[in-house]
Amino acid sequence: MNKNRFKIWAIASLMAITTPTFAQDAPNADNGKKLYEANNCGSCHALDKKMVGPALRGVHERRSEEWLIQWIRNNKKFRESGDPDANKLYQEYGGAAMNIFENLTPAQVLDIVEYIKTAPAPSAPKTTGPVVDSNAGDQDDSSTKYILLILVAVFAIVLMVLARVKNTLKRIAAERDGDVESSKKHDRWYQKFLPEKLGKMNPTVLAIFTTLIIGLPAAWYGYKFGITEVGVQKGYAPTQPIAFSHKLHAGELKLDCKYCHSTVEESKSASIPALNTCMNCHKGVQLTDKYHGEISPEIKKIYAALDYDPEGMPGKEFGNNPKPIRWVRIHNLPDHAYFNHSQHVVVGKLQCQSCHGPIEKMEVVQQWSTLQMGWCIDCHRNTGIDAANNNYYAALHSKAQKDLKEKQNHSQYFGPDGKVKITPAMNGGLECAKCHY
Amino acid sequence: MTNKFNITLVSALTVIALGSCVSRGNDPGWEYAPDMYYSKGYEPYNQADSFKTNPYGMSMREPVVGSVAIGKIDHLYSMPNTGEGYEASATSVVAPAGIDQIDTRGKYMYDVYCTPCHGAEGNNDGEVFKKVSTLKPAWKGYTDEYIKTLPEGKIYHTLTYGKNNMGSHASVLKPVDRWKVVKYVKFLSSKGGSSATAVVSQDSTSTK
Repeated sequence: MNKNRFKIWAIASLMAITTPTFAQDAPNADNGKKLYEANNCGSCHALDKKMVGPALRGVHERRSEEWLIQWIRNNKKFRESGDPDANKLYQEYGGAAMNIFENLTPAQVLDIVEYIKTAPAPSAPKTTGPVVDSNAGDQDDSSTKYILLILVAVFAIVLMVLARVKNTLKRIAAERDGDVESSKKHDRWYQKFLPEKLGKMNPTVLAIFTTLIIGLPAAWYGYKFGITEVGVQKGYAPTQPIAFSHKLHAGELKLDCKYCHSTVEESKSASIPALNTCMNCHKGVQLTDKYHGEISPEIKKIYAALDYDPEGMPGKEFGNNPKPIRWVRIHNLPDHAYFNHSQHVVVGKLQCQSCHGPIEKMEVVQQWSTLQMGWCIDCHRNTGIDAANNNYYAALHSKAQKDLKEKQNHSQYFGPDGKVKITPAMNGGLECAKCHY
Repeated sequence: MTNKFNITLVSALTVIALGSCVSRGNDPGWEYAPDMYYSKGYEPYNQADSFKTNPYGMSMREPVVGSVAIGKIDHLYSMPNTGEGYEASATSVVAPAGIDQIDTRGKYMYDVYCTPCHGAEGNNDGEVFKKVSTLKPAWKGYTDEYIKTLPEGKIYHTLTYGKNNMGSHASVLKPVDRWKVVKYVKFLSSKGGSSATAVVSQDSTSTK
């Protein structure tokens, strides 16, 4: 070690003599760290794992200082000079050339090497429990719910029948014993459950009374429930196989929705991005700092699905056993309704959030709108469109202009506030066959 | 007292029972006639469990070998994804005729696909680079000599195959759009800074 240090010191002092402008006493790790960051070495290298370039820890043992200085400052020239190690390394990494850093002086290169030498090793990875497959066993459990409800109903009926049988038997027994008073007192099964005054009321009046007080509100509740909840999946937020956060990606990182959902302007569906799109960033972003040197478990799932080996050499990272990710579909339209994203985004110029809600704030995406037909129709009736600056509406626009000029049928073109308002409904947006065919 | 309690309990239970059928979290809620809600025909991105013959159990089939999607024909581009291919692209890859000007489409595509990292003006100050600075390339921005002197063919090659930390954008940018982005990058590089974006946005309002 001492000997090594002396050697570096000797080289450095030699540099100090030959290049007086960059005179330094000994390689300085702090300085090296600054240079390492200023020159973005970290964009291609990490200390303990292979990235675009090799892992750097221990590089001072693998190569000599002279070799490192030449390679780092101008690897192209170095390779062309015929150094076998340099050319071997270049071939090994699939001909991905390292940038040229002639702005660094030899002393500065040694500073960086010193930084690599002295950089602390990462903390030992924490032992993590087995990864729970969140996708397993969350199959549809609605049938169990139905069975339970039916069972509850059956038991309730059985209880009522038994209570009635018991009362009848009691009355018969009372009559047989000649206890007329007692037999009259409990002649109706419901009297037990009600205050005395109500129990003695005329049964017909009581029935009407009960219907009004309990039956109608219950029916109203049931009706509302039926039209707003049954088959309406608003609020559905299933756990996805990868815990992808829209809040992070669309909110904090401000990625445009179209970066991932790239077909939204050209196709019926907005497209679930191919994993290739994830890898545009996650080839480099592995969040190892956050997970004690390990790759984030969620990012590992991307690699597993692609059969990608982050340590693999260029050209050999991808295996032959990819497994497509089974994302859980959230928004579902019945098969008798047609919807096209490109029409709404390109022609209608709608923002994604108008239907999908504040996606950029959702950690787990949930269905924001009801997707009921009334919801579609409301929007088609009430949304004003910019017919003047949109070629799609050219025919409608010229007709409206003609109507307004000749003062015929023109009340339809005005909104309640008296301003001109043209809606999709006027352009056939309410035609049945536009969506149902 | 117990009677009132009974009635309250029963109605409370009813409300809870109905309330639990509302779709929340992993539960899609109650459905009436589910056979009409879920298409029997294969819709895009529906998982077809019974379709075992498709590769990797996908509900879609892989395109026939050699088929080309509309607009995706990679005209005049046959460079391999290697270091040699990258070097060779410098001279032998040139923009097809007709794409010689920057236009609004180039800016639009740049804003969607490039700004997250490289920033609106190409200063490597996008939100992703701000958060994960280790992803940054060695050059500082498009106004660097490195990008100014970088041949267009190499930029196109990089967009197609990716380079270092940048991934391939071939699946999201069609060849024509890739060239328009290349032209816009070169434009930002030569003009530099906010004046460049101002020129194009002015241009976009006049041509619309």
